[in-house]
Amino acid sequence: MSERRPRDRASKLLGAVALGLSSAEMIEIARRGAPQAPSAPPPPGPPAGKGMLQASAALLAASVLVDSAIEHYRGSFRNPGMYVPLLSSTLALLSGVEGAATGSEPAWRPVRRSSYKMAVAVGAVGTAFHFYDIFRRPGGFGWLNLFYGAPLGAPPALAVSGLLGLCAEELQNAPDGSTKLRGFSAGRVIAALNAVAFAGNVAEVALLHFRGAFQNPFMWAPVALPPVASGLMAKAAVEPPAKSYPLTRIWLWLTTVLGFVGMGFHAYGVSRAMGGWRNWSQNVLDGPPLPAPPSFSALSVASLAAVGLLEEEARDALPEDKAAA
Amino acid sequence: MSFERPRATNGRAPDPFTIGGWTPMREYAEGEPVDFLIVGAGAGGATLACKLAEKGFSVVVLEAGPFWRPLEDFASDELTQEVVYWIDDRITAGDDPIELGGNNSGRGVGGSTIHFSMISLRFRPEWFKSRSKLGYGFDWPLSYEELAPYYEEAEDALKVSGPVNYPWGPPRRRYPYRPHPVNAAGLVLARGAERLGVKWAPIPLATVSAPRGKSPPCVYRGFCNYGCSTNAKQSALITWIPRALHAGAEIRDLAMAGRIETDPKGRAQGVEYFREGGWRFQRAKNVVVAGYAIETPRLLLNSACPRFPNGLANGSGLVGTHLMTHAGPGAWATFEEEIRWYKGPPNMAVTEHWNYTDEGKDFVGCYSFMSQGPLPMKWAQTVATSRGFWGEELQREMRKYNHMAGFVPVAETQPRQQNRVELADEKDRFGLRIPKVTFSYSDNDKRLQKHSVRFMCDVLDAAGGYDIWTNYQDTSHILGTCRMGDNPETSVVDGDGRSWDIPNLWICDGSIFPTCGGVNPSLTIQALACRAADRIQSLAAAGRL
Repeated sequence: MSERRPRDRASKLLGAVALGLSSAEMIEIARRGAPQAPSAPPPPGPPAGKGMLQASAALLAASVLVDSAIEHYRGSFRNPGMYVPLLSSTLALLSGVEGAATGSEPAWRPVRRSSYKMAVAVGAVGTAFHFYDIFRRPGGFGWLNLFYGAPLGAPPALAVSGLLGLCAEELQNAPDGSTKLRGFSAGRVIAALNAVAFAGNVAEVALLHFRGAFQNPFMWAPVALPPVASGLMAKAAVEPPAKSYPLTRIWLWLTTVLGFVGMGFHAYGVSRAMGGWRNWSQNVLDGPPLPAPPSFSALSVASLAAVGLLEEEARDALPEDKAAA
Repeated sequence: MSFERPRATNGRAPDPFTIGGWTPMREYAEGEPVDFLIVGAGAGGATLACKLAEKGFSVVVLEAGPFWRPLEDFASDELTQEVVYWIDDRITAGDDPIELGGNNSGRGVGGSTIHFSMISLRFRPEWFKSRSKLGYGFDWPLSYEELAPYYEEAEDALKVSGPVNYPWGPPRRRYPYRPHPVNAAGLVLARGAERLGVKWAPIPLATVSAPRGKSPPCVYRGFCNYGCSTNAKQSALITWIPRALHAGAEIRDLAMAGRIETDPKGRAQGVEYFREGGWRFQRAKNVVVAGYAIETPRLLLNSACPRFPNGLANGSGLVGTHLMTHAGPGAWATFEEEIRWYKGPPNMAVTEHWNYTDEGKDFVGCYSFMSQGPLPMKWAQTVATSRGFWGEELQREMRKYNHMAGFVPVAETQPRQQNRVELADEKDRFGLRIPKVTFSYSDNDKRLQKHSVRFMCDVLDAAGGYDIWTNYQDTSHILGTCRMGDNPETSVVDGDGRSWDIPNLWICDGSIFPTCGGVNPSLTIQALACRAADRIQSLAAAGRL
């Protein structure tokens, strides 16, 4: 214990620093963010999918916000750093909602950009914290600690939310109708990001549903369907853009719905715990996480946005091809 | 609340999953011989009843205790819950008399699985041949390989929640459910073991870590040893019994078996039992005794008749002998940080190091040890009796309760003839002679316990515990007294549990263990029952029943 305590204190200190920094950042964002002039009308004809991207960032941030609020409350906010993802995901959520609702109000752009950057940073630091939590437990990096230690897949979701938001902002900034992100195909970049995010999300679900012994056969659905979405996104990222992606679109709508159906299943899971929903104050904490499955929906919406961008890119490229021919 | 009236009557039995609920139950006439009449509804009897009924045999089970509905009957109170123990009078003797009636007894449908610690470990393969391979005790008439499929069956029936990779024993299929999170008391063992370079593992437990049918996942209430009030614990009451009822078995609760009757040809023909104020008689083609290591020999000895003056199945003279217990000396320490060892199942981490390591021992035999989580009353009792604390001193000690951790082994004892169950002259309220239980540790048993205590202290110390102290008084399971074997001269039953003397008299419980190993026996008892059922089916098919 004599060895544990200073380490414990050090991690709490780090957490406090993280909380301080993020609070300061928040104040700074709020200060800078106040719109100086009456807002201009939104720029005409943003490329399809930008609003969707903002919405997906918001949905993912909402999932992270509720999930981290429940889980970190469950952990009694033992480390001050455990408040940070709540602040950051709230900002990302507000930015995403604002961005999606107003068609990207330019006056709020700096706020949104800062919020998304913060989400990426907090997600990265959080991942490191969660790794640390697993390694400090007896048994180290093993099944038991992967099951019950801080979940490794959770903080990266915040980072992905931030990245999606930044992509949306970047596109907003680009000349009208552009489907390029710093010279790269936006659709392909976002597709690649989603391919990875889907894979990470599936890994997390597979781990936790394995922990639940796949006791309900429907627990296989979120490890069976999203890998296909991940594969489709990877394919879209490496292949030249196509005019349309009918199968991909159908599959992504399926995984979008899956996320919300999953929330229903998790609600049913809560009802199966001792005392069911009557004992919600304990069972929502200890039962299957209600806000987790919609993260699939968020990634699916982001993927649909990527598909839209790819289709647009293919259409834009078409006349040139004809000219070349 | 009174349980003195049977509940399983008039074609229905209590549904343990529903408050006030019932489930239909088939009933058999007493005058018509049933295929199997089983005495005892615990780990052995309930399992066998289920398996035999599912194979199409007609089965009646007599259980001395009540038929619980955990959701309505079990309180979160240590004292009230003593109703799940069998605390009738017994006489104990010997140099180290075993305290009876608590954790080593069970009265009620489900037997002691109602209050067991849910530890579901397999025996080490070598223990089945401990005389030939390890040089002590007796060989079992069956091998690990023969029992392994039945271990798997029992683990699946209980949906044992165990580690993904269990570090000891031969390769095995993964446990059906994943391990529970280990509480702070278990992490003390983990930390200490890691610092000493010894392997540890979360204990495979028969309480579910995820929903299972009508069982909610365990909520870590901590009253496991006093009856689980949520039905997360996979006791025989909620696993085998509902299946048995569904398959057409009849369970008679509050039915105390007094005597097995034999016919002039020397075959068992039924059991005289006391229920609803009077003695009754149930005819049977086969009688199975599943009353555990004290009640089983007691019933056999109480059934003595002119043809079998020394009791039934006792041609070898071994009925009641070679009683074993698992010694449970304790090592305890105070910790600077809060442990709150009452949280979760009482035992969550184990090391089987000294079960699988034979070098470095000044004794024969094995032991494993587990982290502990005694509830306050039990702990006060331990502190008062083993340290002699009382009054202010006891209060001061009890204030450390949330900072305590400790270990207790499941320490093997040697099967010895002089440790035995006999009949005393005193009689109980049914007019049945009560058992007299004599037990003394051998020098080897004592050396084994000292070794375990030394090692447990080292682990506590390595984990950062201080003010370490030990006690030597506790025991847990009781085994032996009707051991199985290959030879009618030196055993009571064969490997199927069938008595050598009376071919339609069987035993199916912990009393048939020739040696007791260093792990909790309930899983092995259930595996043996599953195997016995398969064997009975093949014998029946071959016309040899």
